[in-house]
Amino acid sequence: MQAQSIQQLFARYKILALLLAVAAIWVFFHVATGGDFVTARNVSNLFRQMAITGMLACGMVFVIIAGEIDLSVGSLLGLLGGVVAVLTVNQGWSTPVAIVAVLGLGVLIGLFNGFWVTRLRVPSFIVGLGGMLAFRGVLLGTTHSATIAPVPADLVYLGQGYVSPLWSTVLGVAIFAVVVALAVLRRRRRAQLQIRQLPWWADLLKVVAIGAALGVFVATLNSYGGIPLPVLILVALLAVFSYLASQTVLGRHIYAVGGNLEATRLSGVNVARVKLVVFGIMGLMCAFAGIVNTARLAAGSPSAGTNGELDAIAACFIGGASMRGGAGTVHGALIGALVMASLDNGMSMMDVDTYWQYIVKGAILVLAVWVDVLSRPQRD
Amino acid sequence: MAGESCLFEMRGIAKSFGGVKALDGIDLRLRAGECLGLCGENGAGKSTLMKVLSGVYPHGSWDGEILWQGQPLRARSVRDSERAGIVIIHQELMLVPQLSVAENIFLGHEITRPGGRMDYDAMYAKADALLQELGLHDVNVALPAMHYGGGHQQLFEIAKALAKQAKLLILDEPTSSLTSSETEVLLGIVEDLKRRGVACIYISHKLDEVERVCDTVCVIRDGRHIATQPMHELDVDTLITLMVGRKLENLYPRIEHAIGEVIFEARHATCLDPVNPQRKRVDDVSFQLRRGEILGIAGLVGAGRTELVSAIFGAYTGKSSVELFLEGRPLKIRSPADAIRAGLGMVPEDRKRHGIVPLLGVGDNITLATLDHYAHAGHIDRQRELVAIEAQIAERRVKTASPALPIARLSGGNQQKAVLAKMLLARPKVLILDEPTRGVDVGAKAEIYRLIFELAAQGVAIVLVSSEMPEVLGMADRVLVMGEGRLRGDFPNQGLTQEQVLAAAIDTSARAA
Repeated sequence: MQAQSIQQLFARYKILALLLAVAAIWVFFHVATGGDFVTARNVSNLFRQMAITGMLACGMVFVIIAGEIDLSVGSLLGLLGGVVAVLTVNQGWSTPVAIVAVLGLGVLIGLFNGFWVTRLRVPSFIVGLGGMLAFRGVLLGTTHSATIAPVPADLVYLGQGYVSPLWSTVLGVAIFAVVVALAVLRRRRRAQLQIRQLPWWADLLKVVAIGAALGVFVATLNSYGGIPLPVLILVALLAVFSYLASQTVLGRHIYAVGGNLEATRLSGVNVARVKLVVFGIMGLMCAFAGIVNTARLAAGSPSAGTNGELDAIAACFIGGASMRGGAGTVHGALIGALVMASLDNGMSMMDVDTYWQYIVKGAILVLAVWVDVLSRPQRD
Repeated sequence: MAGESCLFEMRGIAKSFGGVKALDGIDLRLRAGECLGLCGENGAGKSTLMKVLSGVYPHGSWDGEILWQGQPLRARSVRDSERAGIVIIHQELMLVPQLSVAENIFLGHEITRPGGRMDYDAMYAKADALLQELGLHDVNVALPAMHYGGGHQQLFEIAKALAKQAKLLILDEPTSSLTSSETEVLLGIVEDLKRRGVACIYISHKLDEVERVCDTVCVIRDGRHIATQPMHELDVDTLITLMVGRKLENLYPRIEHAIGEVIFEARHATCLDPVNPQRKRVDDVSFQLRRGEILGIAGLVGAGRTELVSAIFGAYTGKSSVELFLEGRPLKIRSPADAIRAGLGMVPEDRKRHGIVPLLGVGDNITLATLDHYAHAGHIDRQRELVAIEAQIAERRVKTASPALPIARLSGGNQQKAVLAKMLLARPKVLILDEPTRGVDVGAKAEIYRLIFELAAQGVAIVLVSSEMPEVLGMADRVLVMGEGRLRGDFPNQGLTQEQVLAAAIDTSARAA
């Protein structure tokens, strides 16, 4: 127990509590829909629906940890999704080239936002608000407010396709092998450097738990065609972003900048550059989400991504990110996105009126953050 | 008891913070129209005492009693004590810069018409009248307060106090941001207030001002009452002796360290006030530093010491200029990152705001400045990092349950040792320590002192900014004294006394001349 602080345990329980909340929501909808909710088909759909909010949430959680906010991501998602449709449909670009171009464009626009925040020192809330309007305007202008269709089949596959069950199983096993290998390597390195180890059963328990979750996940999706491609992309992003957050200089600096900007600057960190990179990453995630969204709809829609920023921001806060910066996790944000997607999906299945859907989602957001505030140790 | 003539009396006031006695049995009494000077070194307990009196610390959080016009006063808040007629004017101005002068003067006590609508006409007229009384004839009370300089703003504060019908006015370092002519106006006003029967408590390091306006002087030291005497029985030299008073204890385990050649030099350091660029917070300060030397920088609060070292470290927020040389080569420092790369290190004055990232773990804080040492292509080798962290935690004796514990959970002393460890991992040649033992318990203090001596013995050149005179005299090889942004003295620490340092900081001779 010594090696683990109370805080760490607490943080771990917080994730458990979130997962329990998800389970409660699922049970509720399962009962309310007469057993239609937790089925392979619906779970597959649910994860697919969650993928787009999840991609935005991956970028947004970094922005929020760094102590900023970005309100422009919904519009930017729409714009970049529109651009990929225009490039492939109207300009006849091949899908891979168009995707690479849009990803690059996403990074550039993200950096542009970051430039306004860090160099020109316009508060990110305002820059985001401006972008939210302006990017939507550019989208309406480029598409002449019309839906652009049909996008090429290989692009559609990205949004609607599945990894075959065989390959899904292979992937699942491969991921499990990596998890085991990382755990073993870590123990070996720690032994070599004579650092305190967790007891072996704790590591074993962790590996077994991950394996079991992975098994259930893959088996469920396999019984409905395999892993949907957007979900695969999201899982890959979860891995990359968790790695960035916990194992890289950049990740550490993001937490430090959000936790205490001045102390971080006085420690010799280029805080403006850290924030700039964070906004660049956010733009990249908008590109991912925009491309997948267009692929899923098989068309570029001028209204795509409307309110997307709100879902992404809500997901981060439900997942335990701090309004004041300096705290938050990628997996927490994704569980938050799962909560939002579950509410959307379940209430649609129940034929709940749209206005009720808004009220419930709003109430859940406020309640979730309230519980988080209650459980947070007071600062100062 | 001299009941009627006594406006107010404090008896046996005592206050502790977590077992440390900040005030220990202070008695004070004051008649209407009397001005009492409250003197003591930095940290003697003056501010704490005034916070007790003005209700910042509510009744019950301290021992002793306050009699106000013969009746016990039990203020639960600042509002209670203001209602009684006790108003404090803090050292930092408490105006809302964007609000008009009149709105500031009546803030919290607005004059309203029935229904709650602000009666601007009445407020403007009354504000104008109050300022006229104070001899300010050229103020447009409808303009935002920020249109006026520090001197005027200080007088607005006094007008605000008068609007609250103050019977006792507490002035905490009222002239620290004023020019000499503005000071003159303020002192005149205090004398005028006395004639009108308002009692004042005047807290100032500037003893010539105390000498001029105060009838009685009370000296406190280490939270204890030392003396209360009529001003005419005292002179400035006696006052200084009373303020310093104590013998140096041997808290400072000197380790002999060789002092080498000049390694670092700062020339013509100048810092402008970020709000009021007319004012120089640091005015053309130059100094040299030798290898293995501990250079103390002493001075009173607001002397410009923190601004000086911040400018050297590339961290000053306003405009500043300084020429720096390290080992004979000129340095170009635009940011703390440049400074650390060049071989400078700094432990900042305000640990909470500038030293720690509270939510990050102790370990993550320790490696924050040197994370690149444990990374390849942006990937942190966490195990190797942990080895370095564990070594620092052991070596600097940081008491923590785990390196992953958020640093905010540690005591002040352990936080400070972690901040020191952070800078030491960068292996600085010049280490700046700004108030390194503020808010640190005695045990951790001794460990930090030992560490400073060890570093000096290893050849690190150390700049030690401290407001604690015994600390400067116990640690430093050489002492610079700053006052009002200027260098007022450069003494080798041989037989140097607190009186000499304090006299240089206050610089009564310069004023007399």
